[in-house]
Parts: sequence; C-alpha cells; structure tokens
Amino acid sequence: MSGGIFWEIAKRNVRIHLLRSSLAMLGIIIGVVAIASMGILGNSLVLTVSDSLKTVGDSVIVTPHVGGNTRGFGSGGGGASSLTLSEQDFLQIKRVSAPNLAIPVLQTSDRMQLGVGSDEIVAAVYGLNPDDVPDLLKLKEGGYSRGNSGCLVGSTFAKDHNVKVGSRISIGTDGNKGTLRVTGIIEERGMAFDVSTDSAVVTTKDWFDAAYNRDSYDKIVVKVKNLDDLPVVKTAIEKQMNKRDTVVDVMDTRKTMDTIFQAFGQITTFVSAIGGISMLVAGVSILNIMMMSVTERIKEIGIMRSIGAQRKEVMAMFLYEAIILGVVGSVLGGVMSLIGGYAISTLMLQTTKYLFVPSSLIHIVYGMTFGIIICVICGIYPAWRAANLNPIDALRHE
Amino acid sequence: MNEQPVMVFRDVTKVYPLPAGGVTALDGVSFQVDRGEFISVMGPSGSGKSTLLNLMGCLDIPTTGDIFISGSRIGDMSDTELTCLRRDRIGFIFQYFNLFPLLNTLENVTFPLMLKSGKKADTERGRQVLRSVQLEESLYSHTPTELSGGQQQRVAIARALINDPDILLCDEPTGNLDSKTGAGIMDLMTELNRKGTTIIMVTHDPHIAEYSKRTIRIADGRIES
Repeated sequence: MSGGIFWEIAKRNVRIHLLRSSLAMLGIIIGVVAIASMGILGNSLVLTVSDSLKTVGDSVIVTPHVGGNTRGFGSGGGGASSLTLSEQDFLQIKRVSAPNLAIPVLQTSDRMQLGVGSDEIVAAVYGLNPDDVPDLLKLKEGGYSRGNSGCLVGSTFAKDHNVKVGSRISIGTDGNKGTLRVTGIIEERGMAFDVSTDSAVVTTKDWFDAAYNRDSYDKIVVKVKNLDDLPVVKTAIEKQMNKRDTVVDVMDTRKTMDTIFQAFGQITTFVSAIGGISMLVAGVSILNIMMMSVTERIKEIGIMRSIGAQRKEVMAMFLYEAIILGVVGSVLGGVMSLIGGYAISTLMLQTTKYLFVPSSLIHIVYGMTFGIIICVICGIYPAWRAANLNPIDALRHE
Repeated sequence: MNEQPVMVFRDVTKVYPLPAGGVTALDGVSFQVDRGEFISVMGPSGSGKSTLLNLMGCLDIPTTGDIFISGSRIGDMSDTELTCLRRDRIGFIFQYFNLFPLLNTLENVTFPLMLKSGKKADTERGRQVLRSVQLEESLYSHTPTELSGGQQQRVAIARALINDPDILLCDEPTGNLDSKTGAGIMDLMTELNRKGTTIIMVTHDPHIAEYSKRTIRIADGRIES
C-alpha cells in the first residue's frame, strides 16, 4: 500500500477545508469532554466516599437481632431493656471465627466535661479490651492505654474540643463516672460500620463495665485476615448463632460497600452515556462532511482509479481523513477534559487529588477511544462509496 | 517478446444494458496495435469512440470478444488486476489534464510510481521524466493551478510516462489548448514516439490526427478504415 501519498493527500484535504474540518472536530471535542468529565466526576465521587469507608472493608459485624422475639432459654442475661450479646455468645462467635480475631465492643453515649468549669458535651463512649485495641485502631499521637484510668479519643473529637495527649476528661453528669487521662489520639477512620471513633472516647472494657454496670456486649467485630474468607466467616457465624431463632444479625461490610460502589458505578455509567449521545451527534457531522468530501472529489477519485489506484487505496485515503479528524478532535478533547475535570473537581469536590489517579484518567482514554472509533465508523461508509465508484462515471463527473 | 503486439482487439462487442433494451456501442471491432505505432482514432460523437477508449484503457471489459494488452486477456480480470494493468502498462493523458490539485508538480508526476512501489517517491526519476517533457526545473514545486494549460499537459504526459507504459493513451490531448500550445504538445508526442513510445490518440481534429502514422475511423460502433 502506498500509504504515504494517500496520507499526505488526506492531511492536505483536511487542512484546505480548515473551517469545515474544525467544526466537525468541535463536535468530537465536545463529545470527548462530555464523556470524560462525567466519568471523572463520577469516579471522583466514588473515591471520595470510598476514602472515608475503606478502613472497614475487612470486617464482619455481629449485632443482636433487631425486631425479633425475646430470646430463647439459656442465653439470657445482660440488660433486660436493651438487646445485647452475652459473654457466651461472644465465645461461640470467637470459636467459629477462629483464627480470625473477634473483638467485643461496648458502646454508649454520655455527658462529659473537658477540664473544670467547661461546658458539658455529649459524645459516644466505647469500651474495648486493651488487647484488641491495637488491632482495631491506629493512633496518630500518643500511646495505647493499658490502665483503666486512660482513654483514647478520636481525631475529630480532639480537634473540635482542643484535646491533647495528657488532657483530662470527666465522664458522666458532673463527672460521676470518673476522670480519664487521654493517652493517645486515634487516626481518622471516617464513617465506619464497626466503630466510629472519630468523635468518640475509647475506654477500657473493665472501666466501661464498672462505670455502666455491664456484663454483655453491644456488637462483636470480626476482623478477617483474608478478604476472601468474609462470606465463609459470615455463614459460619449465622449457622452457629441462628440455629433455632434469629438471634444475631451479621453484616459483611465488604458486601455493603460493594452495593454502594455499584450504585455509584451505575450513576457514572448513566451520565457518561448521556455524554455518549453528544458523541453520536458528532459522528453524524463527521459522516456528513465525509460524504461532502467524497462528492466534491468524485472526478479526482476517477482520475486516481484510472491511473492505477486500487479501491482499497482510495478507501484508505478517506479513512485517513476520518482518522485525522477523530484523532485530532479526540486529543484536543482529552486535553480539554483534563482542564474541565480539574475545574469541576475544584468547584464540586474542593480537591483535585481524585483527578490524577488512573481510575479517573482512564475516563479520558475512554472518551478519546470512543471519539476515534466513532470517527472511523462514520468514515467507513463514505470511504466505501468512494472506493466503489465506477471509474468511468467518476472520470466523466464534472 | 518485442514482436508481440501491444494491443489486440478481436471481434469486440460492447452492449450497454438499458431497461428499454441494450445499446450496442461497439459491434465486432477488430484491430491490432504494434509496438512503436502512433495511431489516431477518429469518429463523430456517438460513434463509440469513448467506449473504445474505455476498453483500450482497461477501464471496462467487453461484452463479447477478446482484448489483449501486452499479451494478457482482460476479459476475465478482476478489478484489482485491471487496476494494476492500468498502472503498469498504460499511460493516460486527458483533455482536461486532470492533475491532482493538492499535489505539486513533482508529486503529481511521481504519484503512479508511488502506487507501484508503495514507497516514497523517487524524485530523481520524476525530475528525469519532467526534463524529458521539457518542463523547467523551477516549476517542479508549483501546484497545478499555478501552471499554464500547456505546462499542465506536459506534467500530465510526464505522469503518464513515469511507469514506462507500453501504450500512451490520449483523449483529445490538445482539446483544451490553443493551437500554438497544442502544436508544441504534438511535437513532444511525435518526439516521444520517435524514441519508441506507442501512442494511441482519440481526437476529432483532423489537423491533430495528421501527426499520427495511422488513423482508425469509427462510425456507428464499427471500424470504417
């Protein structure tokens, strides 16, 4: 194939009809920008949400069954008014979940005072076994508290109430539950399914038991080492605990997150599809100018064919033209999507950190690929028409 | 090989099928063109001249009869084979020059060379052929619109010659030129023929036909003489 000269002719033809070519390209540019920026926006939203959720993707959470009957024989105990899980429940769960770590969690909320004379606030209070804390929570500052007079606070809590390592917190109305010293500040965990510690105080289980007179748990978090074991652990717990009656609810956090991301993915696909429609419109305009290009060059096609240009060479010449329009339009569109994505991210998400990641940038590649494919598809028919003109008729055409 | 006629028509008939019945454009035409001949084909309009030209140029195939170009029968060739034959064996010269407006002189001339080789043009070969049609070097980078009619026709002749064709097929080569420029082109053709190029020229101008050594007259689809 003598691609060189036909490529050259295609290039010159695009250049000589610059206005017409630019208008056709504009359509492609808009199409690419629409698809890519919608994709980037959707993906940025997903990343924003997943960033605040991802710390909890490896847990199975067991809670007492809500809305069920009163519990069967034998496993009673605990607060009669609120639903809880007994020590015996915990041991059963621990056994079926092994070797994964089962962490019993106590939780309530209470009034508290930060320093003498300051206003009373209300915040969540967690009680955790000190041995489990390092597996569940990472610290930003300070150290884990071993003794019962120490506690940890969440990062938001620390920031909002100006709490530092060493600060003292009096729990309960007028501090009647006792005063704890802050030994560490917990790293931000975001919205979580297991324990939401960002605005909470984390105490030891023993202190919690004594202060709130408890001997049962509010929930049990099972940390699964291998993510593929999540469904197995979940099934095992359900089988063990819900033999006769539904005693516990078991939540697989990854499944919950998958559902959320799936919904986001569908939204992204939907808005991208709307962008795709604008690309189809652009495709029609490419088809239009390619037909124009063929019609006004019928005579030239006739000359080419009569002096020995093959059908496939004539076809290639027009396809090159469509490819030039597609590639130039798509590349310009890609650059503008990056700028547009930057603008949208800045305005709507107040951050651009989700723009320069592969999962966002891939949408620019999608948009550009789609743009080029549309151009080539819309160039095929005009090119085929040109290639299959009868050389005698084409030569006679004025 | 050299003794083989470059073109043979044997009882060639061409019928154009129309809804109202077929139109016979050529009816049992037979002739032969030997290497080195300079032939003019004359006839009034509607005589079948254009049909004959299309068949000679391998742009069309006969309804019945045989056509041989340099020994190859074109009747059952594929479109691709016919195109290769046009590219390698035949040089076309048209009344309206028919140069490519997007290409400059040198590119126009080397276009068939690029079709044949599939590679970038050998510009030295292009320059050589352009010199042989007596076109000034300064015009090689001009586009067709910047050239006069006579200059354009010289470029077209160079383009027709570049692949060393067996036959130079001319359709009213001077039809769009004034008589003085036309005479210059005819002198060039005579010179090319003297050097061995076989030329077949379709014309209705008897003065132009005088340059040829033999004339085929055609009327109503038949050869008169």
